[in-house]
Amino acid sequence: MNSKAYYGKFGGQFVSESLMNTLEELDEAFEAAIRDPEFMEQYHYYLRQYVGRETPLYFAERLSEKYRTKIYLKREDLNHTGAHKINNVMGQILLAGRMGKTKVIAETGAGQHGVATATAAALFGMECTIYMGKEDMQRQRLNVMRMEMLGASVVSVESGSNTLKDATNEAIRAWARTAEDTFYIIGSAVGPYPYPKMVKEFQSVISREAKIQHRNAEGKNPDVVIACVGGGSNSIGMFADFIDETDVELIGVEAAGCGISSGKHASAMALGEPGVLHGMKSYLLQDTDGNIQLAHSISAGLDYPGVGPEHAYLRDSGRAKYVSITDTEAMDALLELSKLEGIIPAIESAHAIAYAMKKAEEMTETQSMVICLSGRGDKDVNTIADYLDGKGYLD
Amino acid sequence: MNRIEKTLAVLQEKNEKAFITYMTAGLPDYSKTKEIVKAQEQAGTDIIELGIPFSDPVADGPVIQKASYEAILGGANLEKTFACLKELRGEGVEIPVVFMMYYNTILHYGLDAFVDGCKKSGVDGLIIPDLPYEEQEELLQALADCDETILIQLVSPVSAGRVEKILEHARGFVYCVSSMGVTGQEGNFHKEVIHYLSHVKQVSGIPVMMGFGIHRAEDVKPMKDIIDGAIVGSHFISLMRESGFSAQAAKEYCTSFKKELNEL
Repeated sequence: MNSKAYYGKFGGQFVSESLMNTLEELDEAFEAAIRDPEFMEQYHYYLRQYVGRETPLYFAERLSEKYRTKIYLKREDLNHTGAHKINNVMGQILLAGRMGKTKVIAETGAGQHGVATATAAALFGMECTIYMGKEDMQRQRLNVMRMEMLGASVVSVESGSNTLKDATNEAIRAWARTAEDTFYIIGSAVGPYPYPKMVKEFQSVISREAKIQHRNAEGKNPDVVIACVGGGSNSIGMFADFIDETDVELIGVEAAGCGISSGKHASAMALGEPGVLHGMKSYLLQDTDGNIQLAHSISAGLDYPGVGPEHAYLRDSGRAKYVSITDTEAMDALLELSKLEGIIPAIESAHAIAYAMKKAEEMTETQSMVICLSGRGDKDVNTIADYLDGKGYLD
Repeated sequence: MNRIEKTLAVLQEKNEKAFITYMTAGLPDYSKTKEIVKAQEQAGTDIIELGIPFSDPVADGPVIQKASYEAILGGANLEKTFACLKELRGEGVEIPVVFMMYYNTILHYGLDAFVDGCKKSGVDGLIIPDLPYEEQEELLQALADCDETILIQLVSPVSAGRVEKILEHARGFVYCVSSMGVTGQEGNFHKEVIHYLSHVKQVSGIPVMMGFGIHRAEDVKPMKDIIDGAIVGSHFISLMRESGFSAQAAKEYCTSFKKELNEL
């Protein structure tokens, strides 16, 4: 066992033998890169000049007033391409270039990670292929068009359930065939080691900024930090610099879909059991035969049957708490934030907002919380419109 | 002695190559699975891999993916495959059987219960494509006192310096993947395949089998002096599908492959 690949009993490298040397090369290249000041300077240059960092830590006045506690929003929605995903893509694509790879591939569910990858591939002149479930391509036509405009080819995945889980399987298969010249950019804090570490490293800029920004505003750490969790990339980035600050309560919000008891949800940690999928051991939604169950959420970005291994570890060790929010609660919060603050959040991020509203009840007016507003809601207007029409959503 | 090791020892003595097939268990149903296993034993197939269907078979190409998916829809699972094999053993079937499966199926079943099930139903070996050398400790511990069931090691064209450690305690045979990627790719062996197989053969103290992308015995002619046998998976499944899962078709294909393999 390669103990550094583990977070407690979670993580590891459950991939075919063909990929083991690839993972080792990747690990070595990654560790060298993040110790190389020139590489990190390059990464931060693009985050500043291209992505538009740092993002504001906005004090949400009207929300704070209504819920009688101090609420700060970390505005990842203001990044280029509209979400936190680009932070990680920038880091990984620079690493790919450093390793001499000329092609990149990625999986995508709603299309946000696909768009971010296609964007960065255009910027650096790399050949880019995105794997996307056939079902998701129909649901997210506009994102497919954006990726194609950016020069990427989008491969329709027609196996299993035709969604993110299957797109990830297909990307792993393509990677196993082509790893000699191709870099696989994983979008969430999942996959075989070193991916969970790499994604955390490149997303931790969120908490590094937020911690300083909050100190400047309040002169202390926030009492509570909240982020939504699908695979867990924005949340691990939002938690990263606060994990050692034990006075800060960390809360991850999973999607409860139609409710945990309905069986139609995406809360791997609420009812999941440990298992192995996509190269990692973590909590997974499984059926009685150990097959992976379909996740279910109105938010395509949280619609994933597993969760990153470090989150599984943070849960078991008690350092972070994981809760869940239903589709309805998330949509109510989305509409309320839009009206109160003039910010239309992504449905993913609205899950974090919804839980924050509940959490505020037990907080005082002098306490404060930071919520990761991981993405903007522009991509969701069709889903929102259908929801408001009472049509629910495609499933 | 383990059935796989016994069979391979006999082949080695006769200076014959092994012919191994793969089929998804429970496709289209378990009575067909039993018929096809029996037909193959009669036809002279040396070892049968039975695939336990899993929802997310990342090491498999389209043919086996589809087979798994349909088998699951038809109700196939590990428990029923144990039962099927136990019946076959009760009916006198002695051919070595290897379960090819993904690690989650084992974890979900429980390691100890799984090993117990293997012993009781007569599973001789395990091939687990998503359980590389570094992750095997837990399972090997559970298998420690079990001579009946052994873990088959896989190596790939890019394993290079890893081959020695992977084969150090390997038993049965070593499964050489012929190409990068997944099962069922059309005849595109890795460009360095001969060099790679020679390296494995040199290091290995046990028979060396090649799989992935093989249709006919002719396909392995270029490496006939290196390998000790060939594994046919996706093509065998396609063939079964085309023939409506006919035991007779399985028998004919296996008989002629085995014969041609030893006449190359």
